[in-house]
Amino acid sequence: MKIRSKLLCIFSGVALSTLSGAGMVMAATEAKPVEIKGEIIDTWCYLSGVMGGEDAVVGSAHHTCALWCAAGGIPVGVLDEDGQIYMVLKLKGEDAIAKTDNIMEIQSDQITAKGMHYVRDGVNYLVVEDVIANEGITNLNHEDYGSVPPNSFPKNYLGNQ
Amino acid sequence: MQSILKGLTLGTSLLSALALSSVTAFAADFSKGSKAKDFGLNEAVQSTFSAKVVDLLCEVAGNCADNCGDGNRQLGLLRDADNKLIAVLKNGQFSFNGAAEDLLPYCNKKVDVDGIMVGDAEEHNTQFYMVQFIREEGASEWSKTNRWTKAWAARNKDAKGKGPWFRRDPRVLKQIEASGYFGVGKEADIKYAKENQ
Repeated sequence: MKIRSKLLCIFSGVALSTLSGAGMVMAATEAKPVEIKGEIIDTWCYLSGVMGGEDAVVGSAHHTCALWCAAGGIPVGVLDEDGQIYMVLKLKGEDAIAKTDNIMEIQSDQITAKGMHYVRDGVNYLVVEDVIANEGITNLNHEDYGSVPPNSFPKNYLGNQ
Repeated sequence: MQSILKGLTLGTSLLSALALSSVTAFAADFSKGSKAKDFGLNEAVQSTFSAKVVDLLCEVAGNCADNCGDGNRQLGLLRDADNKLIAVLKNGQFSFNGAAEDLLPYCNKKVDVDGIMVGDAEEHNTQFYMVQFIREEGASEWSKTNRWTKAWAARNKDAKGKGPWFRRDPRVLKQIEASGYFGVGKEADIKYAKENQ
């Protein structure tokens, strides 16, 4: 009886690890409390390369495009100093693409977010409970790249003032 | 002893089946049959598969809302073949639009999707999805994922004027009015314009 129980336990364990290895187990995603310092970015432009290289699609150069994408409901992320991206699923109790100004006001800012971190299938997800520091836009890369894309800055800016 | 041997045989069969299904999932070629365009994007790979549309916050954090958050939450795809949760960044439009409006009608339903995976998988541990076509499981006709701009127009009837939505969006205009196109004040905009226009 004891041997049979042991064998069943072994099989259950091996079967579970096999399932898990194939990503077949819907394991509850473990939450980890974190404080993450990084820039609020537009994930699509950063990851797809649609607007250029990674250095150009962050900071002040890409700010207006980041506003467009956030207003368009493209996921906003936090890019930390190690190059990790955390997709924001909630911001201070508000759903990520609620049609308010909160997510808009921090675009391209260097922030420190306190919240819960989840990892699922290689993606970092972040529930931001609070933004505990905001240094504003610190990457003034428009001085190097101009506006990215170029049409995100008006053609005749001075003439329209 | 005989029952133990029966258990062993059953267990071995189960493991073989599981191992086979694992290999099948890993070896799946999701590009087969895809009609999606890759647009020359970073590491883009055509990818068509069956999946369930899910609320990402519900799926990863157990924080669930009625009707997947009614368009206020990011949605994802739980792929049938390997149960992998796919984060969807874009719909098929090229005017700065996410995918929630296009996935929402299928909240918690099974769908077929066609699109591209993008991004450097080695650098970012995975790739992300741009959904270009979608249909409910069993349907024959595909729909383009282009609902966003109509949904925006319905929400912003007062946003008059010419040009695409993103040049008339009240939330965007409010931020630009407050801190300029580069987000660091209008002085920076004026300086840039004087030097470059």
